[in-house]
Amino acid sequence: MLGLLALWFGVFAPFAVYSGARSWRRIHASGGELTGGASAIGGLVAGLIGLAVIVVGTIYWVVASS
Amino acid sequence: MIGRVAVAIVVLAVATITYPGAVLASLATRVATPPASTPGPVGALPWLHVEHPPGQRPYIADDQNRLVILHGTTPVGLLEFGPGTSYLYPIDPSAYANGQCPDNLPADVSRYPPLCQSDLTQMAALGFNVVRLPLSWSVLEPERGHFNDLYLDRVAQVVDWAHALRMYVIVDMHQNAFSHYIPKGPGVHLLYNSGAPRWATFTDSFPSQVFGNNREVNPAVFEADNNFWYDRDGIQDEYIAALARVVRRFKDDSGVAGFGVYNEPWIGWNLPPGFDDLLLFPFYRRVIDAVTGARDGLPCWSGFYMPAVCGYRDLGVDDRRHLLFLDTGLQREVTDFPTHLGVPISSYPNLVLGLHAYTHIYTVDKLVGQEVPNTNYPWGGYEQGWDSAEREAKAMDMALFMEEFGNNPEDDDLILGAQLGEAQKHRVGFAFWTWKENGDIGAWGLFRPPTIDAESSGCMRGNREELLAAVYPRLSADPSLEYAYDWADGSFSLRASGAAGGPSTVVYIPPEVTGEVAGGGAVRLVTSSETDGSRIVFATTTGGAFQVTVAAAPPRLTPCA
Repeated sequence: MLGLLALWFGVFAPFAVYSGARSWRRIHASGGELTGGASAIGGLVAGLIGLAVIVVGTIYWVVASS
Repeated sequence: MIGRVAVAIVVLAVATITYPGAVLASLATRVATPPASTPGPVGALPWLHVEHPPGQRPYIADDQNRLVILHGTTPVGLLEFGPGTSYLYPIDPSAYANGQCPDNLPADVSRYPPLCQSDLTQMAALGFNVVRLPLSWSVLEPERGHFNDLYLDRVAQVVDWAHALRMYVIVDMHQNAFSHYIPKGPGVHLLYNSGAPRWATFTDSFPSQVFGNNREVNPAVFEADNNFWYDRDGIQDEYIAALARVVRRFKDDSGVAGFGVYNEPWIGWNLPPGFDDLLLFPFYRRVIDAVTGARDGLPCWSGFYMPAVCGYRDLGVDDRRHLLFLDTGLQREVTDFPTHLGVPISSYPNLVLGLHAYTHIYTVDKLVGQEVPNTNYPWGGYEQGWDSAEREAKAMDMALFMEEFGNNPEDDDLILGAQLGEAQKHRVGFAFWTWKENGDIGAWGLFRPPTIDAESSGCMRGNREELLAAVYPRLSADPSLEYAYDWADGSFSLRASGAAGGPSTVVYIPPEVTGEVAGGGAVRLVTSSETDGSRIVFATTTGGAFQVTVAAAPPRLTPCA
């Protein structure tokens, strides 16, 4: 959910990346006890995309407006 | 496996309709080939375009690539306001022919007088070279799909008057608080609302009540705006078709500087920066696609919500000559800084960012009850809004124009003078809000309200004549020139440079300014005295830096009979 929110509101992106990565590590380490790997990776990827948009947008603004 | 595919599809779909898609669609316009300019017929005035010098802010230019400074005002006589359901003055141009002018209406019936030929003459006498002419969608398309061409005949009449005086016209699709078909309710004064026709105003039974004495802060207005941005029932498509109708009518007219696409867009139930980036600017891109054939967005459906990546079909107008004036979201008037990401909108080159400079009038300080000069915001003063607008226009690859500014006449010395000073500093033209206004002494018009029934105004306000009838460079071969008119003593100075043999810099001196003209440096001056008492200075450089000055002298203001 944080990942999807990050696509609308970039402010959520770092939290989505952190939360997605942490969840995926825990699921991976549980040896099958925990499920939801697809959701964790989805959140992580969405967070990374959201973060990339913030970075690209900010760099563009700094370069193009100065 | 199925779960991963499902998640991937969801992420991809959401990314497409949100920021990733919007940013990709915007940045793609930087690598897209701009639509080729179509040749326009020779007209009364030179065609304008936006010039894009490398590393600098784009600017409005003439056919010799000279910087064009437009000074003008906004007469509101063609707008339809509430609470009634019809336009109050005659639409038929014959009612205005041969200098006729219908009677003005009382202030409690119409806030604005009719627009007549004598108004254009008065504007030209102040040295204005542009008129921003607001139109109402409600008059243009009163029934869905049925356009009122008589209204466009009326617009064409005003355009013709302006051309005869060598003034450009910005034809502006206007609205205030979405529509005067918003339901009545506590604090709702429909005399202040304009815009959409009844059939395009969906308020979904939200209560109509104004909060904080701001006409836009009304749940019914929020809902109506929201429905427009999400294209409920295809109303955004209808708006694009209506605008295309206007553009088609004036496509071959060089004296129409361009078209204002949507005045002061209100956010609805959305939040910044998503409103601008995901709804407003993609809407602009679709309008540009429709009227220029730019094809910037992706091919999509229409008739209901179109995501940010969606472009729009070419409506066959193919107008690739006119300027398109684009307002940022209305919330920028509150913040005095950009409320969006600042990426380009379209590959179409002739775009102008329309700045509405209302510092200390609609900014946060005013909303919390502070009065100029005792305010704590904007922290950067007037320069905050202007410096950020300059950067905003540059990042979005658009020229800049102060499309609206104005204030209570009591605050002229503090606000009006400051905004005009900023406009000079940033080499930006303006359209003052507003030309004439009915009401009490606090009405914002350049003229006092009428004291005699049926007249369109009282006398011109002397202070405003001093401030707005300014010496200014109408054309400059050097887009980096510096100039300053000091309305306190009537003096003017301009510094520029250029290569020998280049086109002239043209300085306008209104009849109000009486000081001697002088040149310095590498320049030859020719001064033309016009029949109305104004002077036009043609400064041709012989190669290098030069100056043009006007000495301080007492002003010659229009007497008030």
